[in-house]
Amino acid sequence: MPIGVNRTWVKYIEKGVFPDSRRLFSVMRCNHCDDAPCVEICPVTALFRRNDGIVDFDNRRCIGCKACMQACPYDALYIDPDTHTASKCNYCAHRIDVGLEPACVIVCPTQAIISGDLDDPNSEISKLKSREVVTVRKPEKATLPRLYYINSDRSSLEPAAAGSISSSMWSHQSRGVGHYAHVVEEQVLAMAAKSRAADTGVMEHGMRVLPGLANEPENKDNRLSAKRSPEVVPATVLSKRHPLDEIRDALGLRDPINGVLNPDRTNPKHVVSTSAVQTENARRSYDAPNKGVLWGWQVSTYVWTKAVSAGAGLVAALATFINGPAVTTVEQWVALIVALLFLGVTGILLVMDLDQPKRFLYVMFRPQWKSWLVRGAWIINAYAAVLIIWLGTLVFGTGSELIWIRWILIPTAAMTAIYTAFLFAQARGRDFWQSPLLSIHMLVHCVIAGAAAMSVLSLFFEAEDWAVCLGRILIAAILGKLLIDFLELASTHGTTDSRLVAKMITNGRFQTMYWYGVIGLGCALPLLMLLINLIVLLPVAGLFALLGLYFAEHIWVRAPQLIPLS
Amino acid sequence: MTSQKRSLLERLATSLRIIPDLDADQPVGGAEDGMTTVSLERFPPMEQWDDWSENDPHAWPVRKKKNYMLVPTTCFNCESACGLVGYIDKATMEVRKFEGNPYHPGSRGRNCAKGPATINQINDTDRILFPLKRVGERGGGQWERVSWPDVLKEIGGRISKALREKRNNEVVYHVGRPGHEGYMDRVLKAWGVDGHNSHTNICSASARFGYAIWQGYDRPSPDHANARFILLVSAHLESGHYFNPHAQRIIEGMMDGAELAVIDTRLSNTASTANYWLPTQPGSEAAVLLAIANYLIQTDNYNAAFLQSWVNWQEYLSAVHLDKTITFENFIDALKTEYAQYTPEFAAAESGVSAELIIKVAQRVAAAGSRLATHTWRSACSGNLGGWAVSRALHFLNVLTGSVGTVGGTSPSGWNKYKPDFFDNPPAVKFWNELHFPDEYPLAHYEMSFLLPHFLNENRGRIDTYFTRVFNPVWSFPDGFSWIDMLCNEEKIGCHIAMTPTWNETAYFADYVLPMGHASERHDLNSYETHSGLWIAFRQPILREAARRAGKPVEFTWQSNPGEVWEEDEFWIELSWEIDKQGDLGIREHFLSPYRKGEKITIDEYYQYIFDKTPGLPAVAAEKGLSPLEYMRRYGAFEVEKRSYEKHMREIPNDELRKATVDVRTGSVVAGGEIVGVEVDGRARRGFLTPSKKQEFYSQTMVDWGWPEFRLPGYVKSHVHPDDISVEQGEFVLLPTYRLPTLIHSRSGNAKWLAEISNQNPLWIHTSDAERLQVRTGDLVRIVTEIGFFVDRVWVTEGIKPGVVACSHHLGRWRRACDPAANRWATNLVEINRIEGNIWQMRRTGSIAGYESTDPDSSRIFWSDGGVHQNLTFAVHPDPISGMHCWHQKVTVSPAQPGDRLGDVQVDTSKSMEVYRKWLALARPAPGPNGLRRPLWMNRPLRPETNMFYVGS
Repeated sequence: MPIGVNRTWVKYIEKGVFPDSRRLFSVMRCNHCDDAPCVEICPVTALFRRNDGIVDFDNRRCIGCKACMQACPYDALYIDPDTHTASKCNYCAHRIDVGLEPACVIVCPTQAIISGDLDDPNSEISKLKSREVVTVRKPEKATLPRLYYINSDRSSLEPAAAGSISSSMWSHQSRGVGHYAHVVEEQVLAMAAKSRAADTGVMEHGMRVLPGLANEPENKDNRLSAKRSPEVVPATVLSKRHPLDEIRDALGLRDPINGVLNPDRTNPKHVVSTSAVQTENARRSYDAPNKGVLWGWQVSTYVWTKAVSAGAGLVAALATFINGPAVTTVEQWVALIVALLFLGVTGILLVMDLDQPKRFLYVMFRPQWKSWLVRGAWIINAYAAVLIIWLGTLVFGTGSELIWIRWILIPTAAMTAIYTAFLFAQARGRDFWQSPLLSIHMLVHCVIAGAAAMSVLSLFFEAEDWAVCLGRILIAAILGKLLIDFLELASTHGTTDSRLVAKMITNGRFQTMYWYGVIGLGCALPLLMLLINLIVLLPVAGLFALLGLYFAEHIWVRAPQLIPLS
Repeated sequence: MTSQKRSLLERLATSLRIIPDLDADQPVGGAEDGMTTVSLERFPPMEQWDDWSENDPHAWPVRKKKNYMLVPTTCFNCESACGLVGYIDKATMEVRKFEGNPYHPGSRGRNCAKGPATINQINDTDRILFPLKRVGERGGGQWERVSWPDVLKEIGGRISKALREKRNNEVVYHVGRPGHEGYMDRVLKAWGVDGHNSHTNICSASARFGYAIWQGYDRPSPDHANARFILLVSAHLESGHYFNPHAQRIIEGMMDGAELAVIDTRLSNTASTANYWLPTQPGSEAAVLLAIANYLIQTDNYNAAFLQSWVNWQEYLSAVHLDKTITFENFIDALKTEYAQYTPEFAAAESGVSAELIIKVAQRVAAAGSRLATHTWRSACSGNLGGWAVSRALHFLNVLTGSVGTVGGTSPSGWNKYKPDFFDNPPAVKFWNELHFPDEYPLAHYEMSFLLPHFLNENRGRIDTYFTRVFNPVWSFPDGFSWIDMLCNEEKIGCHIAMTPTWNETAYFADYVLPMGHASERHDLNSYETHSGLWIAFRQPILREAARRAGKPVEFTWQSNPGEVWEEDEFWIELSWEIDKQGDLGIREHFLSPYRKGEKITIDEYYQYIFDKTPGLPAVAAEKGLSPLEYMRRYGAFEVEKRSYEKHMREIPNDELRKATVDVRTGSVVAGGEIVGVEVDGRARRGFLTPSKKQEFYSQTMVDWGWPEFRLPGYVKSHVHPDDISVEQGEFVLLPTYRLPTLIHSRSGNAKWLAEISNQNPLWIHTSDAERLQVRTGDLVRIVTEIGFFVDRVWVTEGIKPGVVACSHHLGRWRRACDPAANRWATNLVEINRIEGNIWQMRRTGSIAGYESTDPDSSRIFWSDGGVHQNLTFAVHPDPISGMHCWHQKVTVSPAQPGDRLGDVQVDTSKSMEVYRKWLALARPAPGPNGLRRPLWMNRPLRPETNMFYVGS
């Protein structure tokens, strides 16, 4: 096992007040679910459930998409920095195969781990499960986990009961692990170059002998300096995050979760927000390193570029209903080029996000059809095919073929826009993405994106009808977005995790970006401009709408990932 | 997966070679889901150990078989010596991993994190592979590679010269982790030097003394598995010696209905698992235990039969209560009066633990009766002045309940520890080394090892040849700068030879650094009191054994180890021959083969002899068609006794009893003017190791050696008693001794899997104290001791008593820029500055960071702190009786000052000499009765001739 990642680990929770305080220990690992979300979402059958119930994996098939890590509600998977593929506890299938019990079972000094056949009523595990009071983690996820805890405590098994930490009673994390290990590896090279050497004073027995009180050595290493070292400082919790911080977070250079749940007593507002969910006097005192936010800017940008691409096609098709066949060839060319260009970028981003980018073809050619990654890939292909047909009509036809092409363009573009919602819904670890409104949300975004992109481009040619059409679509879509956002954020959230995310967006870490960026810049300002002068201000309004949309995708992709799964 | 249908698309894409065919001709796992039909084993069956085949987990689900040879050895991290089995890849003859050894009676196939992490230590990218000799000045960090023959010649010549010049006391072997039964004592006796020094007095001297004064044996051996009540003044579910074997049996007992009480100021993992946690004010532990004793006494919940036969109450009455007739009833009356002062309320006031809780635990102790398992080691004993009173009071409970040596009770350590027979026993040494056993500390258990720099500073002597073996006093002892000062002084230390498996802070200041093997690279014999049984285990160099099995035996272990890493056992044989080159010093004769006349003994012969003489082993081996040595090579351990109880009841054979008389008043069996046993139930019994052969409630020894006030188990106020702590002035008691479950002193900095888990030692502070100081978790504080200060982060917790702070001693490893890249998973780069002679400063110049090496993990280090080296700032605190360094510190904690940086340390070593003198003044020096330096009955390592025990001998 490479350092930094774990197939199984023990989480420590401290609860209570001295002398009635107590530390609880719980072993975390794959739950070998009967209905395993990781298997369902895996696009390439790298993860699979065996007939005997073991959820195993074949890393030769893995493309490193990290979807399984979003789907698993138990934080069981990680990216192995040696193979750049996902990995997890597989019940030591390689040992079972030669007739040996799992390694954790035999090594445990106090035999606290019992393994065996749950189908055999006479096995020790079956008897214990029958006799004792047992609990599973997150039963509400309906994963049917096959890992049971005897005498466990809520504060130990529920991640939200005790917030994440970057520093424990005997450990701390200052750099990324797993998927982010390569960042550290690259830093090592840089650091080696900056190796320091003692340069002054007389060396005697390897020690510097100084005359009297010498000059204090200059504080070169930031991490060591007095009072408070940045690596343990919780990331800024509320408003006014430095843009660089976001970037550092996105690259996994700092602990991204810390600020969410870890009480920051300097900020009273934050205490309020955490006390809403932190019902127990419990805190983590040891935990495995944080794996960081696994779907970073590549994914949020891909959602955005895909929305633009799908939106261009969709809006052009929709415009035929408004403007009739009057959508001109030029307008069609603009829409088509935008759609193709952004679809291309979307594809590049998708590949870039893979930890095994060279295996990107596996998504299509080793398909696991239930995965929306696979379905999405083929939907994108279908959309691309429709775009090419459209291109053909523009090159070889009259341009009026859009009237019939729209009947295939609309569904493929719409599906291209919204399949990600189904993928996110398959990511069962992330409560906030389970919102039934997410597909509508993405559809509306796609319309805004398409209309906005073409609005920007309308600057370059004169077509008043077209501009009015775009402007109206944009206004309608933005109003729709506001409604959807309202419904998504203001409605009661059924789970702690989604409630926390909503709070983070409206009244926490992302509030500035959301209220100023998404709502102000992305919605209110364009609306205002279009109301003032739809024709003249359309390109600028489109630009702001696109920018706002980018912020929105960033938040929607990122915020749910800041919630600890274990 | 053959069972998993590939989609048509995949099959098409594969056949068109768009994507590679992953299922081609490879046997793939996953198809045979055999769990329901196959019953799983815990370990590979012994008959397949020579050729065990299992799947390569990295290739899974492809079934890529790896063939291993399985060779047992024992762990060399903590003292427990748990069983390990090394998996040697037969294709490359490299060690791949370590798992447990099911044939080891102590560990029973299970291990803590430190066992499997042995593979990290072997593959450590920074390990020392060849013998090194210093170039330039000592401590300058310059080294050159030398050959083993040169090392032997140079060091052998040096020792030979010292012995010829009768400077025998100038040859010293200072050991940190021993782990070899009796080996070194034999060597030192053969050389004729009183040269054994140890780490005992910074570790367990007070615990030992408390037990020894009762029964001669200096350690407890609780039978947790069969206990009804387990009372720990330790954290043995998570750390400490025998952690893994003890944790197994504590939980076994608890699963069987036993309850657990833990006395610990800090919420250890053990305390957290207990039914009763008694978070005592540091130093008050004995008060709580005595209150429990008092409860047992006042409520007549004592075991009268045991007390009557096995406690020296008659001696007590006749010495203390001259007015009373010597009857058991009078003893009980006296007992009731004597202990009436230790009320639960008194204990509650001292400890801060509620009287109700103390009474509740006392009731459970009473109910457990003879099934009371107790244990203390280090902990409160090693923290406080008079810490020995804690183990003494704890054992008092076993005596009162009659749970000494019973099923579910607590036995003396010696009953569960095997003493091997050697092929040759050199005579006792004719020297007494006053640097180790100075007259000031006649009762010390044992060598006053941590005062060595101070003694040398006072010109009490010098050392010509100083071996430090798996020993790192610069780092793990108090007042490390004084050690550096001493080690750099070539007048005081003529030649320093560091024998170590890994670089350490002491080895930086050596003349020779000799690489010695890790767990699987060396020979040792182990036996420990892990439970009520008796076992031996064989630590062996597994690659050497593998080579032998493969028909390619080597002459010396270094030939099969990585680089030229050797082992002590063989080194000492070769060195002993080198010292006595001409054969005229009488040393060689102790290193001759018992099987080949006149020839040098081999390491195989050494162990062959021991195993041949181990009771029961030859017969069991013969059943398997093996010689005893072959049996041990194959199984790695042997159970000499399955159950060992009540050995004090062993009868003395009649032939030893000729001319013996029995004192009817006490039951003492007297022969040749000495008590040799006790008559119980009409038979003469061996009893215990004390002068009375009984449990000595009353200690004449204490009276004779100037401590009459401590003749009975009682309470001693600690040097960190709350009376002397001013909370208002920011004063705290610092607990600097607690261990982490996954580290082992300074020997685990080379294990990445362990450093990964534990890599900082923040100061634990209670929430209320943190609020008062206005610090939060992660903030820096300055902790000021008597001689200096250190700067650390805080960890705010409800897991510690208010007014007390704690810092684990495991972290804070360092190296200087001039030192070799060492233990980089755990060492910070530091700069040490010495200002105007006595002021020493240490400051980090670089934190832990990834580095390039053959191990890709070394570039993925995700932590950077590494902890703070607090021991440097502690002055020595020798307990005047046990000689223990009393670790707890009165400190002042305040938010860090401007300019303070994490890891900063500053010490004034002239102040440390002052503190030393202050504590030295507490001692009551020898001579004792008859001009003795030390009671004759009290054990000491490397026991010299009896006439050496007299002052001036």
